[in-house]
Amino acid sequence: MSGDGLLSDARLTIARRDLSSLSREKTIVLALLIQLFIAAFSSFLVVGLSSLYDPGSVSSDGIVVGVTGDDAQALVDAAEEHESIRTLTYANESRLRQAYQDGEVHAAMVTDGGGGRIDVEVLVPRESIETTLLVDQARTLLETVERNEREIRSASLERTLVPVPDDVDASQYFGFTYTVLVPLLLFLPPFISGSVAVDALTEEIERDTLELLRVAPLSLVDIVDGKALAMVVIAPLQALLWVFLLGVNGIDVANILPLLAVVTAFATIVVVVGLLLGVLTGRRRQAQLLYSVVVLFGFGLLTLLPEHPATTVAKLAVDSATSATMAHVAGYVTVAVLAVLAARAVVARTDAEALS
Amino acid sequence: MTAGDGSRIRRLLGWLRRLLGWPRRLLGWLRRLLGGLRRAPGWLRTRAENVGRIARWEVTKNAGGLDKKTVVIALVALVGLGALAPVVLSQGIALDDGIYRVGVSEDSPYYDAVAADDTFRIQEPDRRALLAGNQEILIRGDRVARFADTTKGRAAVSELRSTVERYNDNVMRGETNQSAAFPVLVNLTYVSRNVTSVDPPPQFAVSGPDEGPDDGTTGDTATPGGGTAGDGTGTGSDGSGTDGSGTDGADDGTNGDGSGTDGDGAGTDGTAGDGDGSGTPGDGTDGTDTNDGSGGGNVGGSNIADRLTGGSASGAPSDISPPFPFRSLVLAFIFVLPLNFIIQAYGSTILGERINRRGELLLVAPVSRGDIIAGKTLPYLAGALGVATLITLALQGSAVSVLAVVPLALLFLSATFLGAMFARSFKELTFVTVTITVSLTSYAFVPAIFTEVTPIALISPLTLVVRDLQGQAISLGQFTFSTLPPTLTAFVMFGLGAGLYREEDMFTQRPIPLKVLDALAGPISRVRHVGMMTAVLLPFVLVAELVVVALLFALGEISIILVLAAVAIVEEVAKSLHIYASYVHSRFDRGLRRALTLGAASGVGFFVAEKFQLIAQLGDLQSRDIGQAQQNDLAVLGADVPLALVAVGLLVAPLVLHVVTASISAVGARRGRQAYLGAITVAIVVHFAYNLTVVSILVG
Repeated sequence: MSGDGLLSDARLTIARRDLSSLSREKTIVLALLIQLFIAAFSSFLVVGLSSLYDPGSVSSDGIVVGVTGDDAQALVDAAEEHESIRTLTYANESRLRQAYQDGEVHAAMVTDGGGGRIDVEVLVPRESIETTLLVDQARTLLETVERNEREIRSASLERTLVPVPDDVDASQYFGFTYTVLVPLLLFLPPFISGSVAVDALTEEIERDTLELLRVAPLSLVDIVDGKALAMVVIAPLQALLWVFLLGVNGIDVANILPLLAVVTAFATIVVVVGLLLGVLTGRRRQAQLLYSVVVLFGFGLLTLLPEHPATTVAKLAVDSATSATMAHVAGYVTVAVLAVLAARAVVARTDAEALS
Repeated sequence: MTAGDGSRIRRLLGWLRRLLGWPRRLLGWLRRLLGGLRRAPGWLRTRAENVGRIARWEVTKNAGGLDKKTVVIALVALVGLGALAPVVLSQGIALDDGIYRVGVSEDSPYYDAVAADDTFRIQEPDRRALLAGNQEILIRGDRVARFADTTKGRAAVSELRSTVERYNDNVMRGETNQSAAFPVLVNLTYVSRNVTSVDPPPQFAVSGPDEGPDDGTTGDTATPGGGTAGDGTGTGSDGSGTDGSGTDGADDGTNGDGSGTDGDGAGTDGTAGDGDGSGTPGDGTDGTDTNDGSGGGNVGGSNIADRLTGGSASGAPSDISPPFPFRSLVLAFIFVLPLNFIIQAYGSTILGERINRRGELLLVAPVSRGDIIAGKTLPYLAGALGVATLITLALQGSAVSVLAVVPLALLFLSATFLGAMFARSFKELTFVTVTITVSLTSYAFVPAIFTEVTPIALISPLTLVVRDLQGQAISLGQFTFSTLPPTLTAFVMFGLGAGLYREEDMFTQRPIPLKVLDALAGPISRVRHVGMMTAVLLPFVLVAELVVVALLFALGEISIILVLAAVAIVEEVAKSLHIYASYVHSRFDRGLRRALTLGAASGVGFFVAEKFQLIAQLGDLQSRDIGQAQQNDLAVLGADVPLALVAVGLLVAPLVLHVVTASISAVGARRGRQAYLGAITVAIVVHFAYNLTVVSILVG
């Protein structure tokens, strides 16, 4: 047997073969298209939702709130602190309600000053697209009123309030983008890779083509190696593509190399688990079921870590990484390497004859 | 008598014979019909038995398909997951731990507030770190000295604002003087109105008593407690506690505001909220009494669905929260999610039939293809409905919800069936399933988001579910409009897949384009089948066109041209692809007359189906310019044109167009692939020109 040269060539051959069969079956194109769809659609969703936050989308002047009642002046004063809220004062409640029905104002606020408090009834349209924005703006306005009133009544208060920082024009969905969207897009490729790996191996077993592979001077370990290589490689490639697409959409992702390391590590672990299950069960349905369950369970276990992997990814992407974050990355890489070694040991001991 | 005369007489006699043969043929047809009716009960019984048997095999075979070891391992993992859940929940999952870095010292009043929020990581205030991008906010003393002027920095400040406000509210909760601590009390009411856009008056002026809107509708002249339309807090048919209001303007007495609850949603028929007149007159003289009114518009009503997603609507300003922007989304998602899992098992079992020729035994058994397909699908459909029933019971819905899920489940299953018949390996099936999941979930989902806003939401049956869960009544017309197209589409897909349920396509690795042609040509053996197939493919045409409209809508003005072109392409392909398929399978002779007949049949079929669809959709898409480009014919109704012109515009011209273009494609198809492609291009151009002409006539 000619040494490592032939064997590593053989593994590469298997990897290449598996990859090309993927592209021939158009499955990888499908996977890319689906994730592309999710990535593109999500970006639009985030951008679209944040333009909801931006009052400019409702009308060129922001929103107009009709006010009436004894304490209308407090509302008017508070509105002056907000550029995007304009107030119109009406003489009485019925005029205001009429104006609301006629569409002169976006929302209406009826105040009443009985009982030492300001009671405000807020009218907003019934669940239309703009309702969220209007309720949000109404709440902002009323919180300003509340703050002003607390200041006026500060003599009656025992504790002091922390001053609220000035308003800035910020994207409301920054957190969502980096803590939910980016981790989702980065963890999806490993999961798919693992699923495809399970299919690749069990299909060979069920269609009896594994025997043909083993007739070539290849051991089961080599075959598994080759398949693992193929499936692990496509995960960071996809991740890179999504990062690029997100960048095009204005979502900048930092620390790309550590992120790729995390993605590759997870892909390795998941692919190894999948292939092991394939080898141990030899049947596709069992292997897929166990794979889904084990991955879910594993993901649940990961929440016991000091830092959840999604948080790790979020911190890296947003450039707030700490030493703990980097330690986690190193940990994942180590676990991946150990998993590969352990899996090879297990596969080497498996009786390949029993599989077919 | 010459030979020519003889042949003419023979032809005449032949015509006469055929003419007289008509009554005989009619009688024969009637006899066959009666015979069929007589045999029907027995036929049905056989079908039911076969289907039941196959369904039973499906269930027992699959249930026994997993060996004990697997089941044990899976159960252990699930139990472990269940044990893990409380631990995870008690710890809480904070995904945004420490993403913003704040420099604040311990003596600053901000310190406690910042420390309470895990999103912030506290560092020593350091100006250089901030400039280097290692710190987002710098706090000195009692004010924010600097913050990084990046998206991240601004987001951090915004987060700090809400953190501080939350902290302040917590501090105030410990105050003894609560009316000074919480000086503002808010009551949020949702009041529907008819206007679609808001047009504020330009001036800032205070509208005095003479300047107010004076439409003559009762404004301030209503007698206290008077007014009939939806005054006071009558309870309508729904238990949801959200209010519609009598919006005729006649309801506002100086007291009691129109917060009657009425049954229908906002503007489904254009008549937003007919307040049912006999509410109790509003009592009290000030608006605050509505706080105690019977759920006077508080969203926190009795309905679980509302409680799941509606925000709280009264209390301190920071307590009110806007409804989750797409509240229907959550509800919709709960119904669609189980379907995604069911189709995975279903696809697996269908494809399993094709591996190693396992399905051959069923194929040779004395059961029809329809029996096999129905029998295999039935357990999964029943499972889907069972889960839907459970969810409906949990969410306190009615039978309408479960019935509305049927077409959706059928759609998922039929798409999976078709996908499994096309897939060449389990790998391929996995991705086909994922594609189906994504696209059908979007189809079900996205219209349901707009449940309250526009009647176009009825395209998806999930809208019915959402409305039912919110306690709104659903008319039979709405139910039919929503459920019939998906059901028919599902059956079409089952039919197409059944065309592939034969040995040549099941057990071989035929390339996909050939399989498509097989599926299309399967049921075609006569000319009229071509027309019927065109008609039956119409839902797919509509879906494709809608997707195109939705995608191109955002592009603005140019989208109209693009939509017209795309519509032309989609319709031409739908009208002619099966003609090409039947030529490939040599169903018809390749004569010119035959081709023209096929084209005519296809055009007529398309026309008829299109008119049915237009009648059903009357008025729905008129408000959108892009939609109008599609609904060329319908728009003519609105214009002041003589009836003859309307008839031409509405009926004759489209029919001629469809027949002509389909015939062009058919004539090309009879010769082969290149000719077909060329002919269909010509047909597309003709169709596009027609669309363009119509639109410019209407618009210009």
